[in-house]
Amino acid sequence: MTTTPSVAQTSERAKTWLRMRAIARRHAYVLWRSPHRLFDVTLWPLVDVLLFGSLATFVGTSGASGPARASAYLLAGIVLWHVIYQSQIALSTGFLEETWTRNLLNIMVTPLREIEYVGGVALFGMVKLAMGVGVMVLGALVFFSFDTWSLGLGLIPVGVVLLIVGWAISLLVIGLVLRFGTGAEALAWGVMFVLLPLSGVFYPTDALPAVMRPVALALPTTHAFTALRSLVDHKGNDWAQLTLAAVGSVVLLGLAMWFLVAMLRVFRKRGYITRYT
Amino acid sequence: MPGDVVLEARGLVKDYRRDRAVDGVSLVVHAGERVALLGPNGAGKTTTLLMILGAVSPDRGDVTICGFDLAHHRSRAAERVGFAAGYLPLTERMRVREYLKLYAQLYGIEDPASLIDEGLDRFRITNLADAMGNELSSGQRTLIGIVRATLHRPRLLVLDEPTASLDPDVAQRVRRGLLELCDRDGAAMLMTSHDMSDVEQVCERVVFLSHGRIVADGTPEQVAAAYGRGDLEGVFLHLAERHESSGAQQSDHP
Repeated sequence: MTTTPSVAQTSERAKTWLRMRAIARRHAYVLWRSPHRLFDVTLWPLVDVLLFGSLATFVGTSGASGPARASAYLLAGIVLWHVIYQSQIALSTGFLEETWTRNLLNIMVTPLREIEYVGGVALFGMVKLAMGVGVMVLGALVFFSFDTWSLGLGLIPVGVVLLIVGWAISLLVIGLVLRFGTGAEALAWGVMFVLLPLSGVFYPTDALPAVMRPVALALPTTHAFTALRSLVDHKGNDWAQLTLAAVGSVVLLGLAMWFLVAMLRVFRKRGYITRYT
Repeated sequence: MPGDVVLEARGLVKDYRRDRAVDGVSLVVHAGERVALLGPNGAGKTTTLLMILGAVSPDRGDVTICGFDLAHHRSRAAERVGFAAGYLPLTERMRVREYLKLYAQLYGIEDPASLIDEGLDRFRITNLADAMGNELSSGQRTLIGIVRATLHRPRLLVLDEPTASLDPDVAQRVRRGLLELCDRDGAAMLMTSHDMSDVEQVCERVVFLSHGRIVADGTPEQVAAAYGRGDLEGVFLHLAERHESSGAQQSDHP
């Protein structure tokens, strides 16, 4: 068996890391050279924090503890919502970029493994996530004197759960795009508008219509935001809710990965690559 | 004396809905061998190539590249293959050098700078190294695609219409560059083309497909003689005519 010396010298683990970095860099170029894409991680997060911060200020002006608490829910909720939003959009649009530019076949015929591709896009997605959420944290502090970090380190597990859910949703969206074509890409944005009210991002899910509450309880995001409100209320980490959120997010991620692999198999089986050549 | 087996495709079958695109194609390509996969539109060439590349799964049959079964070791097999097609775009928003570095790293080459210079020099396009992908003509993009496909010194070079959008002088440069590469590295080449003069200059073996089946396999001279034609162009026109008029009823064999 013959092989190319320069390729053979690199170990499999090193190659995986090299490929992931290469994919991450490819998406860094996309962001750097498409200034309008910077809106996703700068302007829109700022607009959101202004919108919900202003709403929070309006709600909280009565001076009573209830409205003040509601305003904190709104600001903390929108900042943490962007963790899931940014992680989902970064991974979904990273893949969609390959379909928009008909680059999918170029990528698919390389030795790049699916997990390496997802890892590379997610790696750069973390940079976009840090930018987007960083803008929001700063905006909340500067415009509304709301220090997100004052909620404490308990924010980290909540953020990790939301990050995992964001990735899981994007894997589901990618799977649907592989199966049904680019027409399914509207889901990349639309699915978030379904999740937002059901997850009780800004309010306890008791506020939802009774018929929707069981659906809300089945979502890991609902438990993550309940845990967040516990931090806002200075009650510390709600470990029971965090555990439910963590287990739910891991199960969701597992299902999403299974779905993606199944859709990729269908994609190869039915020759859907010809949609992008 | 043939070299090592680089590609072995056994009994490939592919159905799209009710149509059979590829019907039992078996093909063995040895190191250093230059093979053209020819046939009229719809004969099954691209589907066969896509199965060999692992982008489409066969319904039946299997593909082995340098001993690696594509179905189970796709990544290891793909490391040994380079692919370029005239119709594929360059990855957008990247300079040529950045683009080539990206793909070299996907093939596991940590620092490909000297290989990039060598590749650009081979096809005399070093002046394009810092150009943005969207500033290039379609011919220049094709050339960059070929450089990309050969950077990692593949054992098997798969080319789909490599000279389709090139001026005659540039096409000639590409042919020379590819021959030089195959001679130097002992790489095998499997290409499709509608330009029969291209095929006659580059390939020592031609495989004709019609209705998803191999109907001829041999040197250009052998195949032309088997069909009673003076050259490959004549064979191609003959098969294309029968392909269009007959469907599957008539035999396409000589």
